[in-house]
Amino acid sequence: MSDIAIATQQLTRTFGSLTAVEGIDLRVQAGQFFGFLGPNGAGKSTTIKMLTGLLAPTSGRMELLGLDFQSHLVEVKRQIGVVPEGMGLFDRLTGREYLQFVGRMYGLDRATTEKRADELLEFMQLADREKTLVADYSHGMQKKLALAAAVIHGPRILFLDEPFEGVDALAAGALKALLGRMTERGVTIFLTSHVLEIVERLCSHVAIIHQGRLVAQGSLEELRAGIPSVEGEKKTLEQIFLSIVGQSGGEQSRLEELTWLT
Amino acid sequence: MADVAQIPGVAEQVKLVAGLRWQMLRNGIRRKNNRWDLIGMIWVSIFGGLMVIGVSVGFFAGTVAFYRNGRPGWVALLFWAIFLWWQVFPIFEAGFGAQFEFRSLLRFPMSQRAFYLLGLGYGFADFGAVAAMFWLAAMLLATLTTRPDLLGAMLGVSLLFVLVNVTLERLLGSWVEKLLAKRRTREIFIALFVLSMVSLNFLNPLITSPLLQKYGKPRFSEWASYFSWTPGSLAGSVVGGVAKADLHAAALGAAGLLCWLVGLSALLWQRFAAQYRGEQLSESAAPVAAAKRERRKVSSGGLPSFLPSAVAGVMVKEFRYLTRNGFAFLSLIVPPVMVVFFMLQFGGKNSALKSHGLSADLFFPAMMAYLILILLSPAYNSFAYEGKGIQSYFMAPVSFRDVLLGKNLFLLSLVLFELALAIGLLIWRMGWPTAPRFLGTVMAAVFSVLGQLAIANWSSLSFPKKMELGKLKGQRNSGMAVWTAFAAQILLGGICAVILFAGQWTSNPWLPTIAFVGLTAAALAGYWASLRAMDGLAEQKKELLIETLCR
Repeated sequence: MSDIAIATQQLTRTFGSLTAVEGIDLRVQAGQFFGFLGPNGAGKSTTIKMLTGLLAPTSGRMELLGLDFQSHLVEVKRQIGVVPEGMGLFDRLTGREYLQFVGRMYGLDRATTEKRADELLEFMQLADREKTLVADYSHGMQKKLALAAAVIHGPRILFLDEPFEGVDALAAGALKALLGRMTERGVTIFLTSHVLEIVERLCSHVAIIHQGRLVAQGSLEELRAGIPSVEGEKKTLEQIFLSIVGQSGGEQSRLEELTWLT
Repeated sequence: MADVAQIPGVAEQVKLVAGLRWQMLRNGIRRKNNRWDLIGMIWVSIFGGLMVIGVSVGFFAGTVAFYRNGRPGWVALLFWAIFLWWQVFPIFEAGFGAQFEFRSLLRFPMSQRAFYLLGLGYGFADFGAVAAMFWLAAMLLATLTTRPDLLGAMLGVSLLFVLVNVTLERLLGSWVEKLLAKRRTREIFIALFVLSMVSLNFLNPLITSPLLQKYGKPRFSEWASYFSWTPGSLAGSVVGGVAKADLHAAALGAAGLLCWLVGLSALLWQRFAAQYRGEQLSESAAPVAAAKRERRKVSSGGLPSFLPSAVAGVMVKEFRYLTRNGFAFLSLIVPPVMVVFFMLQFGGKNSALKSHGLSADLFFPAMMAYLILILLSPAYNSFAYEGKGIQSYFMAPVSFRDVLLGKNLFLLSLVLFELALAIGLLIWRMGWPTAPRFLGTVMAAVFSVLGQLAIANWSSLSFPKKMELGKLKGQRNSGMAVWTAFAAQILLGGICAVILFAGQWTSNPWLPTIAFVGLTAAALAGYWASLRAMDGLAEQKKELLIETLCR
């Protein structure tokens, strides 16, 4: 069995003349909690879509759990779970019906699907609303349902695109606990988030994408070591991120021009 | 302290809002795709304008006729027609059209009075209102040319009538807006609309039915007296009263109209006040009281166990979507209803074709063709209602062959049910067709359905178009899917028709059945082969599908 959960070689995606992702070489070890960061429009969602089969790369290779993605499409998909951007829910099913549907799509038998749906609805605090249509769920509830659907088949890699967006603090706590437990059991989690505090707290390894290119990759300690700092000072992920993507204090000077706001 | 020096006056706010709407219209047209909408809008405006002018002529002529026949009070009928148009047309328009979010203006510093006046002012900008005012102008013109002595009364009445109508229309509109903000009521509204449209088809059979002839037609003139308190009748009584110098009747009519205006204004003020205070219209997933934790087993949808898991999953999902899609559900009810209608109109001894009512032998193939045409149309854009759920198919370890097979099997079961129902109705009303015609037609149907499904699957993947449940506006397939369906239906229907008639021409009634057995076997093999190719096509069209349906 491969120790590398996700490996890409020169992964590239263009949209007409725009290169959204350019020559990315990612390596994520099995069991890692991996944070994938970048400013808006950097190429995070495009990368995650390629890694989950929602978007074909223009060039490059992807291997998941040692299997070439293109030639083992179904086998790879069987082993991954995804919460995509927009969540990909069928809004005219109830929460329970959606989990039943997903369970069947992953080939789970009826009894297992039922049992897991029960447990997941309970865990996600959706059991009271299991008969409510997804269309009538709040954004946070939809997010929790999408996460439940992503794990119902027990994936070995979990891809999460902004999983904590719109989720209340209580549910976020439960989700973090669930994700932590999954990594302990060897599941690889690949997560994108704009909330750097969450990434810093949860992730052991991080990659940063900027303008379609991978500009940093490694453990938090390795990233810290890569940027200049005063001795003894422990840089936060936010500081590392801003330092790498090149924030130069321009925002501050622009703010100073808006004197009428204060 | 905010820098807002002075809140703009009502007139300035009206001007600003009018400017905003103009900019929105102009910017909408700037988008390339909307140029066609502009051309469509121009055409609709031309036809709408012609319709308004044509009806205006009718109102002019009607008013003149009433005056010349010495029945000026009968203009009440014309007021009634305008009243119905003014109140009913905007409700349907609101149901199907995207409306400007008038309430979004509330985030600006605006007094309740300004909000009310703006809201009322909006009522004059509707097409329905503009058309109605044209018609009133035609009535005024007729009064000026025929009975100038009544012009003053007519002017006053028209002014009151306009104010009553616009106030009532805004009041009803605000209630309709409140109702349509909820998904369920929106779907019920659409269902009622479609049912009412379908039921109109039965007016003619009803009027010509022997039962009605026996008991006599309802006498509408008797009913009119019960509606003397309504705005149309009151307006007519003012004009009639002035014409007969019966000032008591005229004053009573005017007072009645004034009462309507005051009462409706008060109600509208209340409605707008609720909106002004921040009434929540849309559905929200507000927390509900925790339901009892009954751990009773929830049905998993009776998944057919002999089918592959993914195929069965898709079938169950399709069934659930059907039960939650009022419009699709109605599309199942409508075909058999229309078959009954056609049978009442064209079949048997009471046929509209007089002594040439269609025989079961002719009616049966025509009925099957009609049902297949209607029932298979959705298959040409079978992912229309998936929305963001389309991503689930690409994320899951399933082949699109299974997904399409699940969808096709579900549709087939519906088609079978509908055909069986229609055949039952046919036999009940018209009797059995001859055995060769029956078998030949059934085989032709199988051939046509299989052939169409193979083409429809390709069309669904190649020309997807998103549709939303509970909406009618813009709910149509892409142009290419429509042409594909049209071409496939013409081609396969043509083949079936030629072969069915070949039996008649060659005097060999069993020839179509034999021919269709061979064709059906070929169609089945073709369908199966096409299904295999769908995985590759889905992969090719993945981005198009996701982009189009997740938008």
